[in-house]
Amino acid sequence: MKLRILLADDHEIVRRGLCALLQKREGWEVCGEASDGREAVEMAKQLKPDVVIVDIGMPYLNGLDTTRQLLQYDPHFKVIVLTITDSDQVIREALDAGARGFVLKSDAARDLVAAVEALQSKRMFFTPRVNDLVLAGFLEKGHAISRNEPPDLPTLTAREREVTQLLAEGKSSKEVAVLLNLSTKTVETHRSNIMRKLSLHSIRDLVVYAIKNNIIQIQMPQRRGTPETTVA
Amino acid sequence: MAVRILLVDDHPIVRQGLRTLLEGRSGWEVVGEASDGVEALDKVETLLPDIVVLDVTMPRMNGLEACRLIQKRQMGAGLEVLFVTQHDSPQMMREALDAGARGYVVKSNAARDLLEAVEAVSQHRVFTALARSPNASR
Repeated sequence: MKLRILLADDHEIVRRGLCALLQKREGWEVCGEASDGREAVEMAKQLKPDVVIVDIGMPYLNGLDTTRQLLQYDPHFKVIVLTITDSDQVIREALDAGARGFVLKSDAARDLVAAVEALQSKRMFFTPRVNDLVLAGFLEKGHAISRNEPPDLPTLTAREREVTQLLAEGKSSKEVAVLLNLSTKTVETHRSNIMRKLSLHSIRDLVVYAIKNNIIQIQMPQRRGTPETTVA
Repeated sequence: MAVRILLVDDHPIVRQGLRTLLEGRSGWEVVGEASDGVEALDKVETLLPDIVVLDVTMPRMNGLEACRLIQKRQMGAGLEVLFVTQHDSPQMMREALDAGARGYVVKSNAARDLLEAVEAVSQHRVFTALARSPNASR
């Protein structure tokens, strides 16, 4: 029986590259492609893939919240997170969300097949940096990851995080209501609760919060070549 | 004669996606790949492509600088540069055209716009399309 993989990335050109890479493997098939997190969750519920590969920086619902929603729906989903950065905070959040694989987008051509193989064999796959961080946390604290600066994220419910992302992406309450199939009044209530919980006073504050907590990711133009890249 | 294309992007998976898209088209040939501006300049000299598909943000030397050097050194008669980048901004597009590029496509829409852009640029026509613009400029 074939191993069925669902891909979620907002860039079709990246999905094409991932497809070409994964479908070279005999016995693997890409059973679906989603261009945002909400679509990924819906497709996963329908297609029941063996492995879901999600980009972190997707519109409407980011990859971390997509992972949370997938595992809330069915804890047996095996999720690999694709990311442009392996900062401590992103690693923590990916692990907290329940991802069993963590691959840098820049290394996907090298690592992704190994990551899928690991999950297929009921193992986990992380970059060397994640392994180091997990080990350091274990040695220092006696548990998985040290938490010097816990993210603010847990203070929001899953629905509030969704609303936060959509508002931070520039959508109006009415547009958010349509996307989430809620009334505008309910969205306004969520919005008030979010602002109150986080002590925010403007949409600008909300956008800053969303960026700081990896709910949305921004693309910064770089004038000179540097070792850092922003997004694939 | 086939249009010879060099792909330059620091992410191999993006190069693979671009290659998959371009190789489906008869008369076009992907002759090589590079992962930064420095490597791109080397490969322009050795592979003599007709079109360089160039990312902006890359290590060692970014795409704008590479494009300027290609123009300054007059590398390859009739060589055209087409940017495929995540930067969805008119300012960056202007900067790319000022650097000597003939085309500018946003990565999120590359699957939609790239073939048309390569077609235009291969005929030395300008092609620019930002993600939010309803109509590309040809």
